Amino acid sequence: MWFLYTRTAVNRWRSQIKRARNPRYLIAVLLGALYLWWALFRNTRMSGGALNGIVRTEMILPVFAAFLLIAAARWWIFGAERGTLAFAPAEVQFLFPAPVSRRALIHTKLVRTQLAILLNTVIFSVLLRGDSASAQGWRRGFALWIGFSVLALHRLGASIVRANALEHERPGQRRSVVPILVFSALLGAVAWGLISQFDAIRDASAQGFAAAGGAVVVALNQPIPSAALWPVRAVIAPVFALNFADWLSALPFAVGMLLAHYLWVIRLDASFEEAALEATQHRAERMLRGRSSQLGKTRSRKGKLVRIPRLPMFGPPAIAIAWKNVAAAMRGGAWRTQLVSFTVGLIVMAVLIRSASEDAADIFLGVVVGWGAMLVFVGPLWMRFDLRLDLPRLAILKTWPLPGKQIVAAEITAVTVLHSVTIWALMLVPVVMVIMDPSLLSSSMAVPGFVAAAIGIPLLNALMFTVQNGTALMFPAWVKLGTEARGFETMGQNLLTMGATSLVAAVALVFPVGLGLLTIFLSNKALGAWAYPLAVALGGVLLALELWPMVHWLGDMFDRTDVNDVGSTA
Amino acid sequence: MIEVEQYTKMYGDMMAVNGLSFTVPAGDVVGLVGPNGAGKTTTLRALAGILQPTSGRIRIGGIDLKTHPVDAKAKLAFIPDEPQLFDYLTVTEHLQFVARLYRVTDAAPRIPLLLEELELTPKKDALPPELSRGMKQKLAIACGLLHRPSAVLLDEPLTGLDPVGIRRMKETILARAREGAAVVLSSHLLHLVEELCTRILVIRKGEAVAFGTIDEIVAAHPHLAGRSLEEMFIALTGDSTSEPIPA
Repeated sequence: MWFLYTRTAVNRWRSQIKRARNPRYLIAVLLGALYLWWALFRNTRMSGGALNGIVRTEMILPVFAAFLLIAAARWWIFGAERGTLAFAPAEVQFLFPAPVSRRALIHTKLVRTQLAILLNTVIFSVLLRGDSASAQGWRRGFALWIGFSVLALHRLGASIVRANALEHERPGQRRSVVPILVFSALLGAVAWGLISQFDAIRDASAQGFAAAGGAVVVALNQPIPSAALWPVRAVIAPVFALNFADWLSALPFAVGMLLAHYLWVIRLDASFEEAALEATQHRAERMLRGRSSQLGKTRSRKGKLVRIPRLPMFGPPAIAIAWKNVAAAMRGGAWRTQLVSFTVGLIVMAVLIRSASEDAADIFLGVVVGWGAMLVFVGPLWMRFDLRLDLPRLAILKTWPLPGKQIVAAEITAVTVLHSVTIWALMLVPVVMVIMDPSLLSSSMAVPGFVAAAIGIPLLNALMFTVQNGTALMFPAWVKLGTEARGFETMGQNLLTMGATSLVAAVALVFPVGLGLLTIFLSNKALGAWAYPLAVALGGVLLALELWPMVHWLGDMFDRTDVNDVGSTA
Repeated sequence: MIEVEQYTKMYGDMMAVNGLSFTVPAGDVVGLVGPNGAGKTTTLRALAGILQPTSGRIRIGGIDLKTHPVDAKAKLAFIPDEPQLFDYLTVTEHLQFVARLYRVTDAAPRIPLLLEELELTPKKDALPPELSRGMKQKLAIACGLLHRPSAVLLDEPLTGLDPVGIRRMKETILARAREGAAVVLSSHLLHLVEELCTRILVIRKGEAVAFGTIDEIVAAHPHLAGRSLEEMFIALTGDSTSEPIPA
């Protein structure tokens, strides 16, 4: 294994270095290095360690522990993405029939995961370093590595146990009972703690966010939920340790949890092989199909297929491409289900919280608005029903009788529409809240602001998706195409990617925003708050005029892209 | 008609195809053969508009593929060796998608006929993951034939097909040629090439070493007279290490 992975790493680096001889990639490497220096080193130093400051609050440990436990529940209930378990087809072909023990296979998997974990650890260590001394940076880095490693092991173990329970009937269910019961008990204890203090939390929320947070911490610090959260707190305590003594006293327990998870996973070796083979087969099928992890099962359990709008046989051919990608989003399952359940869930919460208190409602509205803003910037990383899904099939795309600019435009348009629908659906939440309480419209800015947001969202999405698709076209060797999104161990890389693409988008927005501000300045007196929707509309026109030649240029690049540059990354 | 004039493709310093010239008139089926790495797939992909030539010209139905790629591509169909299908579109929806893409106005009545011809009717509502390898290949072929291309490019079209499917596929290819399409077929199955193709293009290390009917090739290389196509192939492509298998 050592030979396999060292040679793989060396050859991969060689091909990346060779690729950097291409001027396009070389410029990107230099710009990327500059960006990394600014984002990871200069920025945190200048800010005085704003991120580091978050770590120091007392609320963080119990709240973050509860958050992690609830997040881990997702792996038990819905299963982690199968990539957790999957091996590359070549690994299956060579390793599984070979005289290699199952335990060795698990260790292979763990070593592979460590590469992403180490990179993520480095990124977060620097982000959380702030202005602290290097020794604390190293301590926090080690603590982060333990935390990420435990999460990865837990996810792997949950995947195997869940696969066993669901797919191997009685024998699998027997083996899975204990771990499922244990996790359920922990989760149940935390839920009980919060529910038992629900009235206190609700009353505290009327006094503001800090008070509500304090009430949540009190609920979590009760004996039963506190005991349930102890394993999670043990893992993350060294990350939040304020000094060497605290770190040293917390470390043995974190290491103990790491060892416990490791022993648990390697004892699952009997189930691992079969589950891994199934996952590998599943992932191989998905890789052939160029599917993203947002896609779930295409047919329901009863074998029914989601109906999609019928494609008319007449009209511009490019519409067919957009239709195809909408079909991917709707039929893949995840987008449509998430859209409906997410929107309905938030609306229900809006109704409940509005009933609780006015302050809580205001906070909830703020959270929804913040979530919507995040969707605008982060959503394009997740919504990949565009060239990032189709570039692995570039050879076929290039046979279509359409100019590249039409293909690119259709790909960007489809995903822009999908994502705009997602965010517009989120905007139903404040509408429902206003219907319940019209006094929320007391501000003269409310309706014009809402209209301005509704107009601006598709324009901003078009820009962000143009940047994402442009990046995929310009650097197909670097952008993850068409396959499953990676897990939490790549959070750091996603953060940096998001930052870089937001920077590019910000440059494109300079003139549209300037025009918008000028519009507001000139028309504010005449139109009042309605100057804002007008500003957004005019700024949007300018943005569209900027995007049009950009899409043309990307279309030319599409026509010039060699299939061999893309094939090796799919 | 497919016209290739001095087509050259280089990857850096490596010459993949060097000065290839040939013509495929309407109704002809040309078999493209050569050893592994000879440049067959590179040539096919260039004809399909997937790869840009380093130099040379390619015309499909008289339309230059480089200067008018959209018009040229509207006339051709490329069926790769590995079917590239969309996981979330059914068999029928694939054909509807292609119909719209290629502006096939009479697709509605033709789709069921095409499905019937390729024995895909029972699977018309199936998704690609629910199809066997052979069925996927048939669907890829159906998508290629829907818009009545005047140039059909096939890369190992019989891979994954059962014997009945192979027979049907041969009939399909010959039927398209009879209807006036120019067909280029790349295959390692020399008996298939011999059976289906009117002419053969043998390439080796990116260069044409023989082109024409079998009789024309023998006329140009008299020492090949009386040999099987396999022996001719081995002699022309220069692999002298393998011995003929005794009868």
